[in-house]
Amino acid sequence: MVRFDWLPEQAALRERVRDVLRRELPPDWAQLSRHGPGSKEQTRFSLSFCPKLAREGLLIPHWPVEHGGSGAAPWEHFIIGEELWAAGEPRGAQYMNVNFIGMTIIRYGTAEQKARYLPDMAAGRVIWCQGFSEPDAGSDLAALQTRARVSGDEYVINGAKVWTSYAALAKYCFLLARTGGPGKAGIAIFLVPMDSPGITVRPISALVGEGDLHEVFFDDVRVPGDCRLGQEGEAWPIITYALANERVGIARYAFARRVLDGMVAELKQGGRFQGAVVKARAGRALAACEAARMQVYRIVHERASNLPPSAESSLARVAVVNAEHAVADFGLDFLPETYTGRDFPMHLSHHERAIASGIASGAAEVQLNLIARNYLRLPSGVRQ
Amino acid sequence: MNFTLSDDQKAMMGAIEKLVQKILAGHVCQPRRFEFSEALQARIEQGGFFSAALISDLGAVASASMIMEMCKLPLCVETTASAFIAPYVCPDAPGPFVVAFDGLDRPLRFAPVAKTIIRIQEEAVAWASLRPEDVDEAESLFAYPMGRLRDAGDLHWRCVPGADARKLRCQWRIGVAAEIVGCLSAALGSVLEHVAERRQFGQPIGAFQAVQHRLAQCAALIESSRWMVLRAAGADNDRDALAALGFAQDAVTRVAYDLHQFMGAMGLTLEHPLHRWTYRAKLLRSEAGGAEEQFAQLADCAWADDVTTLSH
Repeated sequence: MVRFDWLPEQAALRERVRDVLRRELPPDWAQLSRHGPGSKEQTRFSLSFCPKLAREGLLIPHWPVEHGGSGAAPWEHFIIGEELWAAGEPRGAQYMNVNFIGMTIIRYGTAEQKARYLPDMAAGRVIWCQGFSEPDAGSDLAALQTRARVSGDEYVINGAKVWTSYAALAKYCFLLARTGGPGKAGIAIFLVPMDSPGITVRPISALVGEGDLHEVFFDDVRVPGDCRLGQEGEAWPIITYALANERVGIARYAFARRVLDGMVAELKQGGRFQGAVVKARAGRALAACEAARMQVYRIVHERASNLPPSAESSLARVAVVNAEHAVADFGLDFLPETYTGRDFPMHLSHHERAIASGIASGAAEVQLNLIARNYLRLPSGVRQ
Repeated sequence: MNFTLSDDQKAMMGAIEKLVQKILAGHVCQPRRFEFSEALQARIEQGGFFSAALISDLGAVASASMIMEMCKLPLCVETTASAFIAPYVCPDAPGPFVVAFDGLDRPLRFAPVAKTIIRIQEEAVAWASLRPEDVDEAESLFAYPMGRLRDAGDLHWRCVPGADARKLRCQWRIGVAAEIVGCLSAALGSVLEHVAERRQFGQPIGAFQAVQHRLAQCAALIESSRWMVLRAAGADNDRDALAALGFAQDAVTRVAYDLHQFMGAMGLTLEHPLHRWTYRAKLLRSEAGGAEEQFAQLADCAWADDVTTLSH
């Protein structure tokens, strides 16, 4: 039966997460998180915060019991993520481990790989990065050229990755590299220690948070054969599974909504939340956040009901981008002064997330392609 | 959270679908701005479907789903007043209904075919029977039967003591938002068929990315509206109703423009039914003050001084 309220235990879980946040986030958390999830400051913080979450059973509850989780349902996992995102994501880069890298290793890894990689993730004490995009392969990920060549019982990796978040502080990279011919079928996944000789990480100065963008160069990097996840050529189905987990896992609209609440509070305090114009604009931004929330909840419902992932996840992505933009525009239009100086770190953090929201984790235009093909069932063309 | 209709709700939707198919079988759309279907209106009423909101196993979610389905038809029927207003105001009065909020001197939707008029003011709610001679039919841009009352003072108004005007306004918003979703979904469906068949430059126009992306964005707006409507129906609070109607009204112009664009000149004819959906939506856009009004009121609701700013 359609219902839009929370079960008592779900509401209690949300309260518990809020309690932990009230207790564990330092008074200067907003300033700290302003540096960005990939920054040294926030990474250091996440390495003390995530172990606490782990001890509370709130880091990886959705993992199976044998790997340290409690087999929690998708809604429980999602509620935790929604609250943490709304608070500015104190897990920092570790949200990736929790949301998709861990689950992917659990599903596709060997027993030995699970034993090697999962305990640190489950304890909240390791940073991973994701080596996907390349200079000539962004939206068209299957065109990637980084190559992994077999040499004895090792692979030798050569190539370059770009826009890699968290690379400078990561212990491992979830890397896509080509072992076979062109296209999707020639790609494999490697779980590469970032201290391997031959890896060079170069940060890229950017409009978004510190430590968010890097180039990563692989020059004759030798990794043991057992660093490969799945079979050669099996990367595509694996990352399809991984990304289906990643894309819904981020409750970006929840942070946008929290920031919008703060903006309205600021305007009210100054006696500036008066008149139909500012109210209508705030209401529109709020409605956009709620639209995104409903679309994302629908996807979580799909997963909670064991339905196969559908094209609706692309609709949700589009709604989330719209929501983030609506809030960012509201702030720029009605509180421009808060973007100068350091008094409103959450406005700045949100602004940075909003400008990247249609770009990070796959371009919004690719989502529109997927909606056209898989949801609207429009024909594919010869000319584009 | 659960996004699946219950078996009872599904059964009701199935029954409505059967009724609709019977009426539509052999129906040919006339080149007219609208066609009001007395037959379908009567069948839905006789079937008791308009009372769904009062039945706990069905509820407002079923009513909203029904409205969306009915508004997908090229035929026009009165839904929101029958499903969301009349059962609480004048359950025994005959439909279709006109609902008037502000002045009674403006053109009113469904007035020429309505048998009862309901007036909702700030605090007071009243209703009156309507006879054909009480109404002057008005020519209109919109795809509804529109008319003006000859003399509102002439009607025999009956006050409804204790009627909850706030709740009625809230339900009106949910119903109108559901109407918009129904109209825009059907309009999108008709355009999807067209762009898959219509070939230019050697391929279906729906294969061009410029067309695909705009249609995909339309779909995202419509689907967001749909779930906001259902949530508002389930929640029965002003905040969700305002958000749902504002969002849906805000989407109308954007979606209707794109859909007409891709239907090309065919969509400018009365022969093709696209206009029947888009010109209903164009009127619904202005209901209850329009999107800006919903958003401004939403802001007052969501950020009232006594409301916590946490988002749930």
